[in-house]
Amino acid sequence: MDHIRNFCIIAHIDHGKSTLADRLIQACHGVEDRKFRDQILDSMDIERERGITIKSNTVTLNYDAKDGKRYQLNLIDTPGHVDFSHEVRRSLMSCEGALMVVDASQGVEAQTVANLYLALEYDLEIVPVINKIDLPSADVDRVAEEIDEDLGLDPFGAIHASAKKGIGIDDVLEAIVTRLPAPKGDPAAPLQALIFDAQYDIYRGVVLIVRVKEGTLRPGSEISLMHSGKEFDVEEVGLLQLERVEAKELKAGSVGYVIAGIKTVRDIAIGDTITEAERPAPEPLPGYKEARPVVFSSIYPMSSDDYEDLTKALDKLALNDAALTYEKDSSSALGFGFRCGFLGLLHLDVVQERLKREYGLSLLLSAPSVKYKILLEDGERLEIENPMFFPDPTHIKTCWEPFIKASIMMPERYIGAVMDLCRERRGGKTGFNYLAVGRVELTSQMPLAEVLFDFYDRLKTITQGYGSFDYEVLDYREADLVKVDILVNDEPVDALAQLVHRDKARQRALHYCERLAETIPKQQFKIAIQGAIGGKIIARATINAFRKDVTAKCYGGDISRKRKLLEKQREGKKRMKMVGAVEIPQAAFVAVLRSDKDS
Amino acid sequence: MSVPPGLYLHVPFCATVCPYCDFAVLVGDRGRRERFVESLIDEVRLHGTDGSATLQGFDTIYFGGGTPSMLEPAQLELILTSLTAELAITADPWTFLEANPEDVTEERLSAWADLGVRTLSLGVQSFDPDELRFLGRSHGSGEGSRAVELAMDAGFTSVSLDLIYGLPGQTEGAWRRTLETALALAPDHLSCYELTIHEGTAFGVRKRRGELIEMRDEDQADRFLFTHRFLADHGYPGYEVSNFARSEAHRSRHNQKYWDHTPYLGLGPSAHSFAGRRRWWNQRSLGPWQRRLDSGELPVAASEELSDADLALERLMLGLRTYAGVDIDLLRSRYGLDLESPERAATVDSLLARGLARIEGASLVPTPSGLVVADTLALDLLGEVG
Repeated sequence: MDHIRNFCIIAHIDHGKSTLADRLIQACHGVEDRKFRDQILDSMDIERERGITIKSNTVTLNYDAKDGKRYQLNLIDTPGHVDFSHEVRRSLMSCEGALMVVDASQGVEAQTVANLYLALEYDLEIVPVINKIDLPSADVDRVAEEIDEDLGLDPFGAIHASAKKGIGIDDVLEAIVTRLPAPKGDPAAPLQALIFDAQYDIYRGVVLIVRVKEGTLRPGSEISLMHSGKEFDVEEVGLLQLERVEAKELKAGSVGYVIAGIKTVRDIAIGDTITEAERPAPEPLPGYKEARPVVFSSIYPMSSDDYEDLTKALDKLALNDAALTYEKDSSSALGFGFRCGFLGLLHLDVVQERLKREYGLSLLLSAPSVKYKILLEDGERLEIENPMFFPDPTHIKTCWEPFIKASIMMPERYIGAVMDLCRERRGGKTGFNYLAVGRVELTSQMPLAEVLFDFYDRLKTITQGYGSFDYEVLDYREADLVKVDILVNDEPVDALAQLVHRDKARQRALHYCERLAETIPKQQFKIAIQGAIGGKIIARATINAFRKDVTAKCYGGDISRKRKLLEKQREGKKRMKMVGAVEIPQAAFVAVLRSDKDS
Repeated sequence: MSVPPGLYLHVPFCATVCPYCDFAVLVGDRGRRERFVESLIDEVRLHGTDGSATLQGFDTIYFGGGTPSMLEPAQLELILTSLTAELAITADPWTFLEANPEDVTEERLSAWADLGVRTLSLGVQSFDPDELRFLGRSHGSGEGSRAVELAMDAGFTSVSLDLIYGLPGQTEGAWRRTLETALALAPDHLSCYELTIHEGTAFGVRKRRGELIEMRDEDQADRFLFTHRFLADHGYPGYEVSNFARSEAHRSRHNQKYWDHTPYLGLGPSAHSFAGRRRWWNQRSLGPWQRRLDSGELPVAASEELSDADLALERLMLGLRTYAGVDIDLLRSRYGLDLESPERAATVDSLLARGLARIEGASLVPTPSGLVVADTLALDLLGEVG
């Protein structure tokens, strides 16, 4: 056990976390050089592209240290986003230490801080790494100062590195061995292993990624999941060395995988504790929280022909995404689709991207919504997350909406602006925590619905990227809820209806009207776009009739090109959604429904 | 078809490539031009020996580009000689030549006239020095007028001017002054093209970067209508979206063939050909076009067989770009498209009611306001069916 080190790398986006991981793997020959792909841990396309890690990956490295001994280094990759903070926490719980990467020119940033505090919460030993020191803009002294002042860490312990150039990699590996503590635990004690991740293998079923805290996991033993109570027989255990390598056993302190004939990820929960059925541990490890969907959106295929494919794709995705829920849904404007539930906006985004990339589907998503609780005059209680099922307002006695405790960390100078943002989002009970010098954590209780719409982007803009955001769901509170309809030439567009707080209705309706007015192409007649509550118009925008579409040149004999352009236009018209006499291109739905994004 | 086919020759060279141009053009030196002429003659021969000779009895020859006036008259003569020798050309074909003002000299004009050029089409584009600079044209403002004046005295049947309007920020007054200058020269024909910014051109790039702001469609429409009204008032009625002639005799008989599905043969890089239901087109770039000819093959890049629906859409799209409109009977008998079906009749009624079209004899004819939205008219009339 003395020769095991479990660690993760924490960093702000783009500070070089993945590149550093790559170099560590290379340095330990965890993968043959010729097979090496950059950022090997970020295997999903989306992760590679955005430079963020969504699904954590874990790898075991064998490192021959300067003391002449061979160490087993378990690099536990952590996802980098609030939606997945439960995964981050579990990853951190599996480690004894963390490398904290800071970009030598960018310095300490929001996520660096947020992640650091999370890591400190779990008593992890931190080794700061100042990365990208080869860049001309690198300012190592300034960054060291920030590490000292903003993070309260010893700047002299920081390792200077350039993962890209391979500088300082040996120092990092030595620091892992000498500065991070070895895991503790008793291989003979009753088994306690934390499930911190799971993968799905089409041949073997669910592969659990675990950290054994106490006891020993062996093939053949009967295990029990302490929260769900489910029991399985262990078929195989082993280490993750980029590929699975079977092992005899996993002892306390180690990190590895377990295959136990589990059919779908729905049978297990990340964060659950594995124990032995025969000799159970007295209590599970802390940190278990059921991942429940809190954000809902309807997904429609752009082409109704793709509905079958969407069904299959969701079935497959759900195999290794236990948090995703989905059920059939339909809209008169957009056809058949699914009402899906997500852990948060990024989870929604990831699912959408995976459906697009891995399954080649083009999709439309309705505006994200939360789940409301409603008490009717006749005493009936409803839970509504789909505006289409919102009851007649005259029958409603009371509505409740979910509240969150938002936690925003930022440099002190942004407090005023962030407080304004929170107030604007109906935040209350605001509190402050002064962290390091100049750094503040602001907490505010606000409706979850308020952060679904353009909140991250606003926060990022206001704090110039230095603000980080996290939240936990608190409870349900009474809300004055209305259903806003969007009308195009007096016809309601069902897919654009939404439930909002009365105070926000006008603003939201206006935003939708304006977006639609920008994206619906001019047609042969004037188009009125209106937002309404019941019969009352609260917002309006107009699209003037178009005046010209003919192109000047149509000669040189290249008639085909011109015809094909028209045919394309005609195809486009066919795919447009008719609302009354108005043709609405899908791009308009996309633009208006993706309004939470900066595009 | 009883109308004889037309012959198009694409000369891809330009002194500089204009920032708005999306034709197949390149800047080529003298040596490349000579090689081009040899290859073009090879292509002519291939069509002559081809035997199939689907197209016979050409009565128009159109040198377009690019800048055909960059070829020496002797080179044009070589090409014309091979055409007469290899292809079935009618006795007195109508030959068109596009020329840039800077290439115009008295000697060349008389050489072109001697070669049988009947329509000289001058790429004047504008008389305003700032506009010319913006359009990347290499001639000065006086050069355009001078070229037209010289050409008017050189004995061509028709002298035509190309002008471009709808430049970003161009006022109606500025455009009117350009038209007035052009009219003072009393040409036989005018082509006035509203600036279109194509992707992949220098203007396209600037537009994407937000450095160049296209005129709003409302203003484009107003400018278009102004142009048609102004020129009609001054004795140049329009006969197509961008074309105006002093009299019917001066209308472009060659371009007319493109608009009414008369067959045509296109030679040279990127040139398109059409016969019956088939349209084919040559390799777009000079190099590949030339290599195919060097190995004795026709430089055809691809072809397509037009379906009834394709032809019908083209008929509508092309017909509605002209003041002649579409012949309702012909549309039914030859293209199988019935404008009197209940759905289409309703569309026609709505076009008439909105003043976008008129019924003239047996034809549906777009009004100027209809011409501005000719694409939509065509799609509306085609309807959802098919």
